[in-house]
Amino acid sequence: MSSSTKVSRIGEELWKTKIDKVNAELVTLTYGTIVAQLCQDYDGNYHDVNKQLEKMGYNIGMRLIEDFLAKSNAGRCANFRETADMISKVGFKIFLNVTPTVTNWTSDNNQFSLIFDENPLADFVELPDDGRAQDELWFSNILCGVLRGSLEMVQMQIEAHFVSDVLRGDDTTEMRVSLVRYIEDEMPPEDD
Amino acid sequence: MAVYSFYIFDRHAECVYKRRWLPRPASIAGKSRPTSDTPTVANGLATMPSTRTTDDDAKLIFGTVFSLRNMVRKLGGEDDNFVTYRTSQYRLHYYETPTNIKFVMLTDTKSPSMRVALQQIYINLYVEYVVKNPLSPAEHPGGLGVDNELFEQSLEQFVTRVLS
Amino acid sequence: MSYYFTILSPTDVPLFNIAFGTSKSGGDGIARFRFPEAAQNTYMTQFIIHSSLDMLEEAQWMGGNMYLKHIDTYPPASSYISAFLTPSGTRFLLLHQPPQPNLPPSSSSGPGGGSMSLSVTSGMGSSGLFGGSGSSSGRASSSSIAANPTSPQTEEAVRQFMTEVYENYVKTVMSPFYRRGMEVKSPVFRGKVSAAGRKWL
Repeated sequence: MSSSTKVSRIGEELWKTKIDKVNAELVTLTYGTIVAQLCQDYDGNYHDVNKQLEKMGYNIGMRLIEDFLAKSNAGRCANFRETADMISKVGFKIFLNVTPTVTNWTSDNNQFSLIFDENPLADFVELPDDGRAQDELWFSNILCGVLRGSLEMVQMQIEAHFVSDVLRGDDTTEMRVSLVRYIEDEMPPEDD
Repeated sequence: MAVYSFYIFDRHAECVYKRRWLPRPASIAGKSRPTSDTPTVANGLATMPSTRTTDDDAKLIFGTVFSLRNMVRKLGGEDDNFVTYRTSQYRLHYYETPTNIKFVMLTDTKSPSMRVALQQIYINLYVEYVVKNPLSPAEHPGGLGVDNELFEQSLEQFVTRVLS
Repeated sequence: MSYYFTILSPTDVPLFNIAFGTSKSGGDGIARFRFPEAAQNTYMTQFIIHSSLDMLEEAQWMGGNMYLKHIDTYPPASSYISAFLTPSGTRFLLLHQPPQPNLPPSSSSGPGGGSMSLSVTSGMGSSGLFGGSGSSSGRASSSSIAANPTSPQTEEAVRQFMTEVYENYVKTVMSPFYRRGMEVKSPVFRGKVSAAGRKWL
């Protein structure tokens, strides 16, 4: 547990000293507008919206990880449990000022859940009442992509998806993260 | 102290940035932008025959650091990494990020450790100007590499003013 | 005491309506308007509220306040209108109709008059425009803010109500799926307005 509290301290410290703060409503409204626009552009095809959000998140994650490493000076995690702690207590802390709870580990330590008590992206949001959004749209799906993109850059291929969302009327907002494999170093192409 | 050259390799083992300086950086201060693309910059490294292109250099250097890194890890464990090595002609400094981006700098033999300098280049120049630039691609496939004026200018300044 | 609350866009499009009764002094929170015909209930309230828009447009330039207090009275139905103006020009209008204080409760001779019927048409069987509503709530609220629609206490209660509704309104229209000028359908908002009504009125 002590390593876990140490990680939270790192997150707190970074949040206090190195992070430029930005108005929360600005973020919420910007993200909300993007999702709403996507829903409109995809004509209410929420599966495509989810997919697109994930893709956008992936591209963000690929860059965000560099900023994360530059700020935190973090080294490589020894195992996936450490990674999960780092994601929750440093990653989410410094970028969204939330620390989702890491829980529901599988016995092989390759799958865990992040439970979000608060979600700054979803403030004020009420899903459209067209009878489908409540069942199909994962409003905060960009976060799944961010995790996939950033972890891919540090040689972890993962799969992330939401399993529940308070916006849909569920009790909690939960994201499931599974480690697929560690990515091997790439070799330069052979010269001929 | 003199900086001879500088390379960045991305996680796909591709050289995304390379830059060579003449032995005495002060002497090129007047030139606006001596690019590394000129294949036969005379006298880049005293030991290197001028007929070899910088592309070949980059490949050689990648091969060297890649093998060296892997050997070091086999001997010292997964988290180990080498910092620098020295020959009678030059010293090579190496810094690798957890995202597998490799920063390599070649200097003269009397130079102190450049590990911190390379880290600074990563944090203050590469992340700030390349990664955070939304118009710059996230990856640099196809050999175009980091084509970013702010980054190049800042690197130039960093090397000529801070390091020499 | 019965209330009818409505939100109008700056271009007079109705965005939200709710009717409710007082919950103070033992009220059951159900609106019992006293209009001649049951079927006209909703039309009457809307008619009275919309007819006060001219007064509102006059009043809105008189001071810098968002809460414009009691702006209009419609004597035939002894209805009072209070208004609140958001900076973007959206109007909140609250019609309140106190229980008939002048007539003794016994005058409500309608079939549902004395009972706590859940129907909003309760008491409509009585004759005339001023037919009594549920007399139990009428008696109970005679001492509450409801009895005197222009008293400072009432003004203050309405102001509190409007302010709370305004806060929730802002949050609701901040939802990315709400577009300007759209009807406010959010059940959460409706719940919040009801709650504010129970709390202050």
